[in-house]
Amino acid sequence: MRAAVDHSRPGLLDWLSSKRVAPYLFVAPVLIFALSLFLGPLSFAAYISFTDWDGVADPKWVGLKNYTYLIGRDRFFWTSIWNTLYFAAGSVILGVPSALIVAALIAQSRFQSFWRTVYWLPMVTNIVAVAYIWWYILNDTNGLLNRTLDLFGLPGPNWLTSTSMSMFSVILVASWMSLGQNILVFLSGLSGIDETYYEAARLDGANPWQVFRHVTIPLLRPTILFVLITSLINALSSFVLMMILTEGGPARSTTVTGLYLYDMAFTDLRLGRASAAAYILFAIIFVISLIQLRLLRRGGVEAH
Amino acid sequence: MAQPESPTHPARNRGALLGVLKYTALALGAVIMIFPFLDMFLGALRTPAERLALPMVYWPHHPQWHNFVRVFTELPMLTWLANSILVTSLITAIQMVTSTMAGYALAKYRFFGSKALLSLVLGAQMFPFFLLIIPIFFLLRFVPLAGGNDLLGQGGSGLLNSYAAMILPFAVTWYGIFLMRQNFLGVPNEIIDAARMDGAGEFRIFATVVLPLVKPSLATLGIFVFLYHWNEVIWTMTVTRSAPDLQTIPVGIYLLRGAFIDQSTFSLQQASVFISILPVMILFLLLQRYYVRGLTAGAVKG
Repeated sequence: MRAAVDHSRPGLLDWLSSKRVAPYLFVAPVLIFALSLFLGPLSFAAYISFTDWDGVADPKWVGLKNYTYLIGRDRFFWTSIWNTLYFAAGSVILGVPSALIVAALIAQSRFQSFWRTVYWLPMVTNIVAVAYIWWYILNDTNGLLNRTLDLFGLPGPNWLTSTSMSMFSVILVASWMSLGQNILVFLSGLSGIDETYYEAARLDGANPWQVFRHVTIPLLRPTILFVLITSLINALSSFVLMMILTEGGPARSTTVTGLYLYDMAFTDLRLGRASAAAYILFAIIFVISLIQLRLLRRGGVEAH
Repeated sequence: MAQPESPTHPARNRGALLGVLKYTALALGAVIMIFPFLDMFLGALRTPAERLALPMVYWPHHPQWHNFVRVFTELPMLTWLANSILVTSLITAIQMVTSTMAGYALAKYRFFGSKALLSLVLGAQMFPFFLLIIPIFFLLRFVPLAGGNDLLGQGGSGLLNSYAAMILPFAVTWYGIFLMRQNFLGVPNEIIDAARMDGAGEFRIFATVVLPLVKPSLATLGIFVFLYHWNEVIWTMTVTRSAPDLQTIPVGIYLLRGAFIDQSTFSLQQASVFISILPVMILFLLLQRYYVRGLTAGAVKG
């Protein structure tokens, strides 16, 4: 009604809140952010990856030198790539099946919300706390784990200080930390499975293992693939846990690429080379996600 | 839950056995989940002598409750706590605003560039944060006329060592925009059109008509963001390394590790770690319901 009264002279405010202009104002903050704190920085990083730069003097253009150096001559870079793949494979192989099993058990138990809460506690714990908690547990002589093993007469390994065990320990801690998140996704997938499938299988005389193997797993396949993909990508780009728990050691055995390039940038101030390393790691993650997406499609996710 | 059990005795016994196995496995897992926290708690209560004993005394005989007080008197815990609350709350509030506004525009308007922006929102989620740490750090350092910089952005520390540096890179969450867009898609156009007929401007429609309809999802997003940024370490550490007054709880505890060198300060460290977990854990236990709903809504359909 009001528009009918003073439609003679629309003011600035009316113009701004008109259907034609308002959407631009709605997205303006995101546009500014996208340019200044996303696309801008990404291009800037791409540019300095072709330069020599210590953050102080002007960047010096060196072409592909940073990339060829990392790929061709820097064996520590390859060590870090190997460590990254080792960590990612380990945490997926250990973390995803255990989350699936726990979720399947919770789904058929009483006191579901109690179990869920217990298994989610590490998920809301900050990574510094997680690392310190486990540092004390995995500590060689006084740690809870080796003292427990000692009770059974088992010799405890040097969890964090031997090059053969350190990455395994980091994988253990990472899986403990991310278990809750994966359980959560699996539980929501499980709740989407129609109860009649289970009943039909039971009427056919299937035992619980057969039901799990031949009913639950096939029907849960899209969820399983989703968790596999997200876990793998997260694992490939994570490095803070290693930074705090083992500082990348001993002898670089837990220096993943993210940690390697972070130190290269903020300790050694080799910003060009660090940016190149970041883009190489990103390319690897990108290719792996593409392959996984392919598999995901073939796994019948669009049916979901 | 009806447990279908067959009437024959051997089968029923097997069912009972499976039930026992199931709960044993769950309980064992629960011990693995909870015990590390307990270990840290007991560690915070040990005396230096108990730590030095060989073998170390595990169960503290003289619980040092005052270690939890020392966290506040001997460490800048109150500063860290204030910073954590301030920065996390601001990030949460800003992300809720930017996500709802952009999500609404992308769901309910067709405008020049809207398709491209939606692709950006979806595609940007693929870029891991490690790719942005180096360039954003140096872009903030060279912001002109800030932190002692001249017009060309030289000479000072720019926006580094400021709350702005801790907050700005997290002003937008791509996932949040997408999540809110999906929610706004479910709002019927008739409601919006009816409000337009009544002469309401687009912003009033957004704030008074549409926003209340997505309140539950917005609350979920808020909790999600708050928990995530309360626990954020790597960026905050990078920009506040030389500004102890700005550090948040996890960053402060981490960067103080050089100070935790002997058996008495180890207990102090364990006490401070325990304090750092407590607020979010309580928050999570209270608001768990919303958190779950949000994750399950966005997860598998993604």
